[in-house]
Amino acid sequence: MMIQGRPISPGRAEGEVLVIDDAFSFLGGVDASTGELKVSPGGNVAGKVLVFPSGKGSTVGSFVMYDLKVHGKAPAAVINASAETIVTTGAVISSIPMIDKVDVSLFRTGDTVKVDADNGTAEIENVTVTDSVSSVILIDGRILMLRRPDGARSYPGRWSLCAGKVEEGEDPETAAVREIMEETGIEAGKPLGRIDPILVREKSTVWRVSPFIFRADGEVPSLNSENTAYRLCSPDEVISCDRLVERTPEAVKALLDLTR
Amino acid sequence: MELSREEQAILNGESGDGPRKAMELIVALGRIYGAEGLVDITSAHLSGASYKTIGDGGLLYLEDMAAGGSMVKVPSTLNPIGMDRGRWSEMHISEDFAKKQLRIVELYGKMGVMTTCSCTPYLGENVPKFGDHVSWAESSALSMVNSMIGARTNREGGPGALAAAILGKTAKYGYHLDENRRPTVVIDADIGDSLFEHSLLGQAVGSGIGGGVPYFRGISPDMDQAKTMAGAMAASGAVAMFHVEGVTPEAKDQDISGLDVITIGDAEIKEAADRLNTAEEVQLIALGCPHLSEREMKEIAGLLKGKKKRGDAEIWFCTSESVRARCPDEVRIMEGFGPVLADTCMVVSPIEGTFGRTGTNSCKAGNYLPTLCSQKVMCRDIADLLRVIS
Repeated sequence: MMIQGRPISPGRAEGEVLVIDDAFSFLGGVDASTGELKVSPGGNVAGKVLVFPSGKGSTVGSFVMYDLKVHGKAPAAVINASAETIVTTGAVISSIPMIDKVDVSLFRTGDTVKVDADNGTAEIENVTVTDSVSSVILIDGRILMLRRPDGARSYPGRWSLCAGKVEEGEDPETAAVREIMEETGIEAGKPLGRIDPILVREKSTVWRVSPFIFRADGEVPSLNSENTAYRLCSPDEVISCDRLVERTPEAVKALLDLTR
Repeated sequence: MELSREEQAILNGESGDGPRKAMELIVALGRIYGAEGLVDITSAHLSGASYKTIGDGGLLYLEDMAAGGSMVKVPSTLNPIGMDRGRWSEMHISEDFAKKQLRIVELYGKMGVMTTCSCTPYLGENVPKFGDHVSWAESSALSMVNSMIGARTNREGGPGALAAAILGKTAKYGYHLDENRRPTVVIDADIGDSLFEHSLLGQAVGSGIGGGVPYFRGISPDMDQAKTMAGAMAASGAVAMFHVEGVTPEAKDQDISGLDVITIGDAEIKEAADRLNTAEEVQLIALGCPHLSEREMKEIAGLLKGKKKRGDAEIWFCTSESVRARCPDEVRIMEGFGPVLADTCMVVSPIEGTFGRTGTNSCKAGNYLPTLCSQKVMCRDIADLLRVIS
């Protein structure tokens, strides 16, 4: 999968990903002579594509990156959601390729990634992108939620919106209408609105999800075998539920905002 | 970001590796802060001078920069280092530290940097003019030239300021642009006239607002009062610029209608002092953060004249080489109590190897001594501190 970000420090590199979940300071965060990480998840940064949201802490952190380079323990490349001065400075003076404006949630420790920081791209080699749709169906002011079977390949046992893959040659809106018919028996008309696709990583797949919102007042769902139960939930219930497929709440919120 | 043909050529390496690396850094920083292009600068002031703060990584970086033949294009001065170059043995400094520290200074010198080793270059060695674009590191100094002089600089890091000095250019964003120099909050100050109260005012404001551009009413600080206030605001917050009604050169052009107003009086500065004070007695008293001016040297000498050193606590007076050279009579009096050190201060020197409790009249030092030097702190007025040792 190819991801387009923004070039920060030039160069190209390939390596295994090491993800740090929180903002990171090289000063105190890593041993400059060994490359051993002193914060979660541990491991060694040498030769890795280091992925973290943003830098923080003392400006001395820039020199720690240089020290790593001198000791042959520098990361192969750095990927940030949002670059700041300290890590940017350290990457440039140490000739470590770096890009930012990248959705760091798409990376997993152990991925193999090619970074082209001259053009601002990162390619995750072991991951493919699959197009899918996910629809909010409003029935008399409540949102239809479907429970996935415990044996499902994708997100088993989780509550989700009405979702499915886009088939070859199909446009996302047609796919959304088809999925709603298949999974609920409801004939959806034109959507009330849609938002830009969101990307969700699951194992070796990145779902490029096109979210839609439909109204189906008075309809009663009739489920096929793809789901085991349904509920009609208030919007607040959906937005605050933590048992949902990733990123569902923010999509629901954005879609509901469109209808107001 | 728009680069001229000449700037693009430097980025492509046509002027050599040193300028290419410098341009890569300026372009990267410009990009993340949304600069539209570069601007010529007239001077630079560099931090990243003390071996204690930059460590072996910083030393190696400077070795490589100097070996590559990099030279600064504009007058550039250097921040304090970890020791007085001539008197480090009186500061309990190890030979290994001294050797590496002297090497760092030598490397900056090789790149054409004036090795002034002071945090107050605007008092003598490096004085920008109103409207100049400059590239300064050292949070108190850059706030002083932004605010009291009306020059324009961002809050640079050491390598960024060095890269700008090598190119004679920096990325045009932040405080280089009029719209970011406007006040964000009004501070009505009701405090006394002493230096210490101005330091506490800076402390209360910096910790209260975090960042932004405060507009002060009710004070009219001179350079010394502004210096300690600026240092405190930059250490307790990230304030890189302020206005003072009737004092700073850009204050009269500002519109403050609709801004929040914060009042700082006795209660607020007392609270600021209480928060910084963690020691009842001290092993070291260190004055001069930022570095002592000529007038402060005269005041301290005046308070000490005719008295004798007493007690076990040591006292250091930290200033710049140029101020020390201008004050021979005062230095003679002060030396009866402790060394008058140039080039350094208690924050960037490795005092934690010798001392555990330090007294200061600077809220800037009060913020950094616990974190950078593992000290407990007594933060008081100069006269109070001098009574401990005289």
